[in-house]
Amino acid sequence: MELSRRDFLKASAAAAAFAAAGAPLLGSNNADAAEAGIKWGKAPCRFCGTGCGVLVGVKDGKIVATKGDPAAPVNRGLNCIKGYFLSKILYGKDRLTKPLIRKGNKMVEASWDEAMTLIASKFKEAIEKHGPDSVAMYGSGQWTVFEGYAASKLFKGGIGTNNIEPNARLCMASAVTGFMTTFASDEPMGVYDDLDLGDTYFLWGANMAECHPVLFSRIIDNRLKNPAVKIIDFGTRRTRTSQMADQYIKFTPQTDLALLNAIAYVIVKEKLYDEQFIKKHVVFKKGKTNIGNGLEDKFKFTDDPKPMTFDEYKEFLSTYTPEYVEKLSGVPAAKIIELARLYADKKRKVNSLWTMGFNQHTRGTWVNNLVYNVHLLTGKICRPGENPLSLTGQPSACGTAREVGTFTHRLPADMVVTNPDHRAMAAKIWGIDPKKIPEKPTYNAVEMFRALDRGDIKVVWTQVTNPFQSLPNLNRFRKGARKGDGRFVIVSDMYPTKSTEVADVILPSASWVEKEGVFGNAERRTQQWFKMVEAPGEARSDLAQTIELAKRLGHGNLFPYKYIEKEMWEEYRQFTGGGKDLAPYEAYVKSRGLRWPVVNGKETLYRYAEGYDPYVKAGEGIKFYKNKKDDGRAVIWARPYEAAAEAPDKTYPFWLCTGRVLEHWHTGTMTGRVPELKRAYPSAVCEMHPDDAKKLGIKNLQKVKISSRRGTITLPVDLNGRGKAEKGNIFVAFFDETKLINELCIDAYCPISGEPDYKKCAVKVEKA
Amino acid sequence: MNFKWWPIRRFVQLGIVTLIASPLFGLTIFHGNLSAGELFGINLSDPFAFLQATAASKVFIASFLASAVLVTGIYFMLGGRTFCSWVCPVYLLTEWADRLRSRFGTGGRTFSLSGVRWSFSATIIICVLTGVPLFEILSPIGITTRAVMFKAWQPLLLILSLVTIEISIARRVWCRSLCPVGGFYSFLGRISPLRVAFAHHLCTQCGECTKVCPVEEVLEPPLTTHKPQVTSGDCTRCGDCIDICPTQALGVDIWYK
Amino acid sequence: MIQKSSHTGITRRRFLKNGVLIPLALAVAGGSISTLFLRRADARGFYLRPPGAVEERRFLASCIKCGKCAQACPYKSIKMAGGEAGIGIGTPHIVAREVPCYLCPDIPCAKACPSGALDKKLEDIEKITMGTAVIVDRESCLSLRGLRCEVCYRQCPLIDKAITLEPRHNQRTGVHSIMEPVIHRDKCVGCGICENACVRDQPVIVVMKSPPVQKDYYEF
Repeated sequence: MELSRRDFLKASAAAAAFAAAGAPLLGSNNADAAEAGIKWGKAPCRFCGTGCGVLVGVKDGKIVATKGDPAAPVNRGLNCIKGYFLSKILYGKDRLTKPLIRKGNKMVEASWDEAMTLIASKFKEAIEKHGPDSVAMYGSGQWTVFEGYAASKLFKGGIGTNNIEPNARLCMASAVTGFMTTFASDEPMGVYDDLDLGDTYFLWGANMAECHPVLFSRIIDNRLKNPAVKIIDFGTRRTRTSQMADQYIKFTPQTDLALLNAIAYVIVKEKLYDEQFIKKHVVFKKGKTNIGNGLEDKFKFTDDPKPMTFDEYKEFLSTYTPEYVEKLSGVPAAKIIELARLYADKKRKVNSLWTMGFNQHTRGTWVNNLVYNVHLLTGKICRPGENPLSLTGQPSACGTAREVGTFTHRLPADMVVTNPDHRAMAAKIWGIDPKKIPEKPTYNAVEMFRALDRGDIKVVWTQVTNPFQSLPNLNRFRKGARKGDGRFVIVSDMYPTKSTEVADVILPSASWVEKEGVFGNAERRTQQWFKMVEAPGEARSDLAQTIELAKRLGHGNLFPYKYIEKEMWEEYRQFTGGGKDLAPYEAYVKSRGLRWPVVNGKETLYRYAEGYDPYVKAGEGIKFYKNKKDDGRAVIWARPYEAAAEAPDKTYPFWLCTGRVLEHWHTGTMTGRVPELKRAYPSAVCEMHPDDAKKLGIKNLQKVKISSRRGTITLPVDLNGRGKAEKGNIFVAFFDETKLINELCIDAYCPISGEPDYKKCAVKVEKA
Repeated sequence: MNFKWWPIRRFVQLGIVTLIASPLFGLTIFHGNLSAGELFGINLSDPFAFLQATAASKVFIASFLASAVLVTGIYFMLGGRTFCSWVCPVYLLTEWADRLRSRFGTGGRTFSLSGVRWSFSATIIICVLTGVPLFEILSPIGITTRAVMFKAWQPLLLILSLVTIEISIARRVWCRSLCPVGGFYSFLGRISPLRVAFAHHLCTQCGECTKVCPVEEVLEPPLTTHKPQVTSGDCTRCGDCIDICPTQALGVDIWYK
Repeated sequence: MIQKSSHTGITRRRFLKNGVLIPLALAVAGGSISTLFLRRADARGFYLRPPGAVEERRFLASCIKCGKCAQACPYKSIKMAGGEAGIGIGTPHIVAREVPCYLCPDIPCAKACPSGALDKKLEDIEKITMGTAVIVDRESCLSLRGLRCEVCYRQCPLIDKAITLEPRHNQRTGVHSIMEPVIHRDKCVGCGICENACVRDQPVIVVMKSPPVQKDYYEF
C-alpha cells in the first residue's frame, strides 16, 4: 500500500475533524469569533511518560491553543497544569533560531552550512586520530522514534561505534534491566486500565500525585467508586501522594530491598504463594553479590546467573525476618506482615507502581526484580487489574530509548549488540556489513561523560536533553566539557540551557509539533502526530540535523527515504515482530495510539496472557514466551539487601533526595519559559523536617547551605511545604537552573543498569 | 568671626533626608521616617503622631509613648521648633521656595503665627471625634519622607501645590501658620532653655535679622522691649539671624535669662 | 522697619480674623475633606493589611504611616498605599498578585510597628487573619474542571489545613477524579500565596475580607 504525504495530510485532516467532533465537551461550546479559523490536530503531550493526548489549535502558522483530547483513552480530555500550557512552550522569548559557534568566550551566529561543516570536520578528525569510539551521541527519551532510530543507525551502522546513549539511562535503565532479567523482554505486561480495575495499589518511590497527575486521579476515582480500594505509599518522604494514600509507610533509604524480601519471606513462610503458578511459570536464580557502585571510572560488571531451587530461595529469604528488617528499615514487623498478607490476599487485585525511587538506585535492577518476585510468588500478574507497572518519566522513554534501543548495548526491539544474530539481523535491515556494528557496548551515560572528562571521548553531540544540568556529580562533568584539548561539545536544543553554556556549537532545534513524530508511552501505547507549524527562524528537527551529519560523513546512503517518517517507520517495523509488533504507519495516523504488540491491526492489553496476547496459545494461560532460555518462565531472583553507595555520617548527617514538582518538568527548559508555571513555582527550596531545623536553629524560609563531598548550593528551607521530609532527610527539586542540586549528587550507579542514584547521598546543612 | 550656622544646618537637613533614604542602599542604621523611626535600634516617634494615633484609636501603647517622650525630651533640650528648621524636609523645600518667591517678588502675604497652634488643637479634636489621624493623611512631611523611602512620587503633587501657593500668594504659610507639628513644637520652644540671645548694646536696629527670619514676629519683643532673649515658641532656632547680624548682636543662649 | 511695632497690641478685629476665623475655616475645610472625600479605605475595596494588623477601623486610627513595616519585609511584599486609598493613603498593604505575604516565622513587619497598628506581640504567624481566600470564579478554575492543577493547594503554606483537596468523581470522563481545593476559613490566614500562584490570567482564587465569625453551639 502506497501512501503519499498528501494522503497522510488528508488522513490527518480527517483525524482532526474526528477530534473536533469529540471536542465540544471541552472548548468549542464557548467558541467565539476568535476561535474561528483554528485548525485542530492531535498529538501526545510533550512532557511526561503518561502520554496524554492533546488537540493542538493552529491559526496563521502559530499554535494558538491546546486542549486535552476527549478522544484520547489515556486522559479523556484532561491534562495536568503543564499540559494545559503546552501552547506556550514553543514561544519563549529566547528561542534559539540560528546556529551558534563558539569564538573564544562568545557564541557567534553562523549559517547551517558553516556549523555542519565544522561539526563534520571535528567528527572526521576525531575518528581519524582516535578511532570511532572517540565520538558520541547523547540523546533522550524525548527523541521521536525517528530521531532515535536515525541516530542509532548512523552511529552503530554508519560510524561504527556503540557510543550512543539516551538520558533514559538516568531514569529508566533499571526498569529495563529489571524487565530483561525477569522476563527477557522490556516493558510492562499491564496497562493503565489496571488503575481502574484493581483494588490494591502499592506505590514504591513514586510521587504519582505530582509526577503522574492524570493517572493518579484515576486511582483516586477508583477508590471513590469502590471503598475497598487501598493505596499504600512506600517512601522516604511524605508527599502529596502519601497525603492521599490510605497508608504511608516510611522506610530508611535503600532498605526497600530488605522490605521486599521480608514481604516475600512472610508470603513464603505463611504459604500465601500460588504454588501452581510458581510450578508452571517461574524459575529461581541468583546472581553475584557485593557488586559495587560504579564509582570508579571504567567500572565494569557482568552478572553470573545461577539457577536455584525454591527451597534454596526460601533459605535465602530466611535472613529477612520481619524483625530483622524492622531494625534495618524502621517499618514495624507487624506492619510488614500485614502488608505481605495484603499483597497475597486472594480476594484482592494487587498492583505495584513505581518510578524513580526504584530506578534511580544503586541496586535499581535488583529492586525491580524484587517487586516482580512478590507478584510472581502470588501469581498476581498478567491479569486485568492485577499487575506490576513501571511508570515512566519521559514522553518516549519507552517508544524511542527502549523500543528503538538507543542505548550503547541495544539494537531495536529487545535486541543487543553482543548477540551476533541480532547484529546480523540489524545489518540486513540496514543494508550494511554486519561487521560494521561493534559487538562490545562502550559507555553508559555516566561513563560517557567521564570519558569526555578524561579525554577518551573527543566529540559529543547532545540532542533534546540537558545533561549539564541533569547529570549527577555535575561539577566534574561541567568542568570536563570545557577542558579543551580537542574536546568538542555540540548541543541541539530549542532554548539556551545549562548545556548550551558549555557547548562549542549550538544548533537550534524544532520541537514537538514543529516536526512529525511518534512517541511511545509507559503502557506500550505508540502515538503519532504530524507537523503542524514551522519551526522559528532557521531551527531544524533533530532528525534533519542527524541526517545532515550522516551525509557529510559519507553515510547519506543510510537514509535514502523520500517521505522520511513513513519509510523509516516501515523499515524500523521489520525489527519488531515476535511480541513487540508495531502496526503500519497509517494505523497510528488514524488512531489515538495503539498498544503493542499490534497483530492484524489489534492492540494488546495484557502481555503474556491468553486471550489478550496473540503469541500465547490457547490453553497456555500465561506464558512468558520471550524468555526462551528458561522455557517461557519468568525469573524470581534472590537479590540481597546491600548498603547505599554513600550514607549519612558525622560530617554529612543527612540523606539528600532529589525529584520533581508538578509545575515543572525535568530541568525546566520548557516549563521555565511558561510565565504562569514559573509564577506558580518560581524556584527550588530545601524540604526539611521541622525537628532537624530546630536542632540547627533554622527557621522556615531561612537560607541554608547544603554541601556534599561534591558541591555546595544555597537555597531557602521549606518546613511546611507540599513535601514533608522525614527526620534525617532533605529533598530538593532539580528543575531550577539557578540551584544546581545535581552538583551534590553522587555518580554512583547500579552496576547492572548503569543508572545513577539521585535519591541517596550524604549532605550537611548549615545556616547560610 | 566667619563662623556661620547655615552650612551646618544645611548639612543636617540633607543628612536627615539621606538617612531616611539609607535603607534603599541596604544600610540598616535607620528605618522609618519622621513619624516614627529607629536609629541604631533606638525607637523614636513623633510626639504629635503619638498624640493623634492615641487620640484616634483610644489605645495606649507604652513603648509608643516612651519613644515619643524621648523625642519630646530631645527637642525640649534643643529648642522645640528646631525640628522645623534643622530636621523637617518640608521646611527645606519651603525655604528654597521662599528664595524663588523673593526673586520673583511675588506674594508676600503672611498670616498669624498662632495658626499652627489652632491647627494642632483642631487636629487632636478631629482625631478624637472621627477616629482618624487626620494630619497623618495629609501630612506633607509624611508624603515627602515616603517619597524618599519608597520612591512614591505621585503624592508629591500636594507638596507641589503647597510650594506654588507659597511662591505666589502667602510667604512660608505652611510652616508659619498651618503645620500642626510646628504647633506642637512651639509649645516646647516656649519653655526650652536653648534660645537666641540678644545683645542690645551691639544692636544697630538695622533690621537685617527680621528680613531673613521666617517668623519675624518673634524678634519683635527683643527689638522693641529690650528683652535679652527671643522667648517666643515660634522661633525655629534656625540661626539665620545670628549669621546675618553685622554686629554679632545675636547669639546662642543655653539657659533662661 | 517692622510695621506691627507701630501698634501697641493686637486689635480685636485682627484677633478675630487671624486667631479665630482662619483656624475655623481650616477646621471646616479639613473636616469636610475627611468626611466627604476621604472615606474609609475599605469603602473602596478590601485592602490586605500586613500580618498582625488590628481591625481595619482601629488600624486606620493607629497607623502613622512611617513605613517601617514595609522596610522590614524581606520580600518587599508590603507596599504603601497611594492617594487611591483615600484616608488609607500611606498605609501599608499587600498586593497579593504582585508579591504575597510569605509568613516569616519571626514576623519582622509586626515587630517594626511602633504605633500598635500591627500587633507586636503576635507570636504565631499561623494564627493571624489578614483575610480569607475564596474561589471567586469556579467556572474558570482548572481544578474544578478536572484538570490536575491545584497549584493554590500545593503552594499554600498551610497545606492540608487552610486548603484541602476533596476528590469527587468526574462524570464526564468516568474514570478520573476532580480534585477540588476547599478553603477552610478558620485556618486560612489570607497570605495571598494562592492568589499569587493561580495560573489563570485573572486569579480565580482571591483573598477577601474575612466574614465575621457567626457563633452557635453546635460542635461540628
